[in-house]
Order: sequence, then structure tokens, then C-alpha cells
Amino acid sequence: MSLIENRLKSFLAAPWRQYSASLLTVLAVSLVNYWVQHWTGHPALALVYLLAIVLLALAVGRGAILFAAVLSAFAWDFLFVPPRYSFHIADLYDKITLATYFVVALVIGQLTARLRTQHEIEVKAKLALESERLGRTLLNSVSHEFRTPISAIVGAADNLRAEGGLSPSQDRFVGEIESAGERLNRIVQSLLSAARLQSGQLQPRLDWCEARDVIHAALQESAALIGDRPIETKIAAGPHLARMDFVLMQQALSNLVTNAALHTPPGTPIEISARFEGKELLVQVADRGPGLPPGEIDRIFELFHRLPNSKPGGTGLGLAIVKGFVEAQGGRVRAANGAYGGAIFNIFLPASDAPELPEETP
Amino acid sequence: MNTIASTPQTSALVIDDEPAIQRLITTILEVHNYHVVTAGSGREGLATIAQRRHDLIILDLGLPDLGGLEVLKQIREWTQTPVVILTVQDSEAEKIEALDSGADDYVTKPFNSGELLARLRAALRRADKGKVEEPVLRFGNLTVNLAARLVTRENQAIKLTSTEYALLRLFVQHVGKVLTHRQILREVWGPEHEKKTQYLRVYVQRLRDKLEVNPNAPTFFRTESGIGYRFFANWKTAVSDAS
Repeated sequence: MSLIENRLKSFLAAPWRQYSASLLTVLAVSLVNYWVQHWTGHPALALVYLLAIVLLALAVGRGAILFAAVLSAFAWDFLFVPPRYSFHIADLYDKITLATYFVVALVIGQLTARLRTQHEIEVKAKLALESERLGRTLLNSVSHEFRTPISAIVGAADNLRAEGGLSPSQDRFVGEIESAGERLNRIVQSLLSAARLQSGQLQPRLDWCEARDVIHAALQESAALIGDRPIETKIAAGPHLARMDFVLMQQALSNLVTNAALHTPPGTPIEISARFEGKELLVQVADRGPGLPPGEIDRIFELFHRLPNSKPGGTGLGLAIVKGFVEAQGGRVRAANGAYGGAIFNIFLPASDAPELPEETP
Repeated sequence: MNTIASTPQTSALVIDDEPAIQRLITTILEVHNYHVVTAGSGREGLATIAQRRHDLIILDLGLPDLGGLEVLKQIREWTQTPVVILTVQDSEAEKIEALDSGADDYVTKPFNSGELLARLRAALRRADKGKVEEPVLRFGNLTVNLAARLVTRENQAIKLTSTEYALLRLFVQHVGKVLTHRQILREVWGPEHEKKTQYLRVYVQRLRDKLEVNPNAPTFFRTESGIGYRFFANWKTAVSDAS
């Protein structure tokens, strides 16, 4: 049944086919009516037309139904209502029937068509919901499936060291296992973030956050990769609140800081600052490295895009995730080269409405 | 590995469906003189808890049968045994729900053994002592005299507003425990303000400005991303002045 329905639906997708179907239906019903008119008399034939309209409404759109309703009313009038083969109607009773027929055919056509579109919308919404739920379950389970073995690897290596008694070369191997496990974990994290972004599964939980707080959390998260690199944090005194998703913003900033640490010479400082600029909160990560190649500035946020001559080990996901996460929070991100060299990444978050704060004199 | 005969063993129940994680945690804990019992599913875990008392429960939130949250809620219906949750990144909403449903703490996979052991020890200590009730608490150079409502940093009295003090008191009475935004807001500002995270952000920053050595790199008032805050201090320094 559904196969026939689907075939019919795809066949009738083009409007001209719908109108042809209306025309053919009215012609066919007229032929049948011509055949049975002697037994039924002409008033009952209107009901046969009406039945055809109802059935037709299940398959074609509003325009084609309107067309069929008008056409069938004329056909009934012209072919069967006395005086026959003329549009003139002698009997008052027939006039009323024609008018009623016309209204009923239109209303039924409209109602059926509306019901059908509603049904289609519901089916589509249900399918979308289903696939979204499936996508989320899948991502969660992938996350769990990857992290469990990584936990076992990192945990076992960690314990091997904790138990002590390793020779220098064994200790080095354990170190290799640990750092490879941690790197694997970061890659899984990036891939899952990118997958969430691509599949539209990302649902930011916006709440008031303090920029100072997020910056510190991001620096802590990337501490292992920053190493002993000098970090300068510049934020004026006083609250710097904006609505954001703390975890997403932390991840975005951490990606920027890690990127800066990877692509600039060791020992050069990384500067991270926050300030209000107009109706936005600006969080900026600036480095003193070689800067961005001029032609690349627009492309660096693309998925899997990597700068020419960039070091191996990157996934090409980091900056695409930054862009996706920031935009998901209603913000924007821009890259530029600093006036005195180095790359600058600016994250702007909307901050036009001030939070309601409790009143208390210090 | 009962190395120290005189110390009574702490019994821990590990509820996790992954054999690799079960083995890993069992090994870590046995080395540190815990007696470990494992359960491979939520139902088995609940049955084990009903049979005998444990000092500590480690519960994976990603269980296939009942779901960790459901197991946690059923545990909390009748026992206050400390529960530490095992979970993965990107599941903040789940962690918050677990903490608000009575979990004591959480550890995110992949974890290192030091982190796991520290969380377990802290949870056990809190279960042992309940809320900290000494009148004077010392955390490095910071002293909080709860009896006299007096706070000093490097022997200098620090002026706090009444809200700042209420927030600090909540933190120091739950040393080492993660507190969710909702838990703190309800406690300090009242249930009608439990969604006003901005209050919390501003006041935590004020406490950091007044009490931390470097407010931009806080050591006491630690942020738990997307979840809440944790007052972190070495417990050994947090002894009563009277003793």
C-alpha cells in the first residue's frame, strides 16, 4: 500500500501531471456516468462526480482539485442536466444542486488537501526527531566506547609508573604510552565536537559566566601543551559577565591557546585578554609568532583546512570547532595579524543586556 | 593486598559494566588497601548494596540496564553511603543531575589514579565527619573563624559583606566537595534565586579578589566547568585552632 502511495506521490510531483490526472478523472467519470444515467437519472450523477473528487483529493494538490471541481461541475451541467448539451439549466432544483455541488466539492477538496499536508508535516517532524535522537544516542555511545579503552590505557600506564621499580628505558616507554593515550583522547574530543557541530546536535546551555573564570579554566585545560610558555592575562578590575556556554567557550579558548603554543617559537609569550567593546564582550588571544599568511585568513576556520608548512600532528579541526562553538553561542570569531606581528584571534559575544545583580554595599 | 594489618580495610563497591575499567579500579584500590567488590550492572549493584554495607560506592553513569542516574536515585532512597560518579566529558547536564540527586563527587574518564584516590578519600572523610563543625579553620595563610565570624589572610583581617561571608562559610564547610550552581544559590540566596548564576559569578570573583594570592589563578575557589565550584585546600592544614 505504502509502495503504491509512494510511487503515486513521486509520479504526481510535477504540477502538470496533477492537472492531467484531474482532467482524465473527470473524463473517465463522465464516461461512466454516460453509461449509467438511464438507471439513475441525472441528480445522482453529481454524487458520483463528488466521490471522484474526494478520491482525487487524496492524491493531488489544491490547484488541481479546484480545477477538477470546476470541470466536473461544468461536465455534469453540460452533459446531463436538461436541457442537455447546453450550460443552461431549466429547473430551479438543478440550479440549487449545482451550486451545492460546487461548494461541497471545493470544501472537501480543500479539507482533504489540508489534512494531507498536515499529515506530511507530522511525518516529517517525527522523522527529524527520530533521526536527531538516534544521532545523539550514537554520539554518546561512540564517546563512551572510545573513552573507556583510552581510560584503561592511560590508567594502566599511570599505575605502572606509580608502582615504581622501572628501568629508565621502561619509564620512557610508559611515558610514550601515556602521552599517546592523552593525544588520542584529545583527538577523540575534537572529532566528537566536530561531529556534534556537523550534525546540528550541539545545544548550547547559555548562562551568565565571568570571562576571567573561563580564561583561567581554558588555560588550565591546555596547561600540559602550553608548558612553560609565558602567558599574559589582561583583564581590568570588575565583572566581565556575558551569556555563554561555559564548556563550549572554554574549549574554544583552549583550542586557540593550544594553537598559538603549537605554531609559534618556544619561549614567545601568548597574551589573552577580555574587555567590553560596544555591545559585545571581546576575548582576545594574541601571539608573537610569524602571523598568518595573508591569503589564508579567510580560510583558516574551514573544516580540515591546514596552513601550508604546518607541523604534523594537527587535525585541521581546532579552528573550525572554535568558529562553530562561538557561533552556536550567538557570537562571532575573527582572525587578523597584529600591527607588530603575530596572529590575533578575536571572539565577540553578545553583551547588550546587563545581568540583574543583587544590591549590597561592600 | 592487606599490607597494614592494624588498619581496618575500607570496602568499596564498583558498579561498572566495562571489565577493563573494573579491573583497573580494582587494582588501583587494592594497592591502597581497599577491599573491592564489583558489580557488572545496575541491578546487580543494587542487589549487592542491599546484601551488605559498603563504605563507598563508585558508580559508572553509562550502565546499559538501569542507567547510572536511576541506580543513584534508588541508592539514595535509603542510604547515605558516599557515591562517586564515573562519567565522560561533554555530559555536564548528566553530572549536574547526579550531583543534585545526591552523588558526592565525580571523576571524568580518562582519569588518573591520583585524582580518583583523592576524590574517594575526600568523600570518605566527609561521610565520616559530616559537615565541618570546628569553630576555626585554617587553610594555608587563610583563617576562617566561624565562631567569631572573622576572616584573616596572612594575619590581616579581611572585611567581607554578609553575603560574601555566607558564601565563604558554605565553601569552607564543604572542603573538597564540588557544589553545583543550584546548590550554592539555594543555600546562600534562597530557592527563589536558584537560576541567577550571575550572582554566584560576581561573588566568587569578589572572594577570589579578596582572598586568593593570585585572583587570576585561584587555588582555593576552583571552577568546575559548567557545573559549579569546589573549595580546594589541603585537608591537613584545615585543623582546628583549639587542638
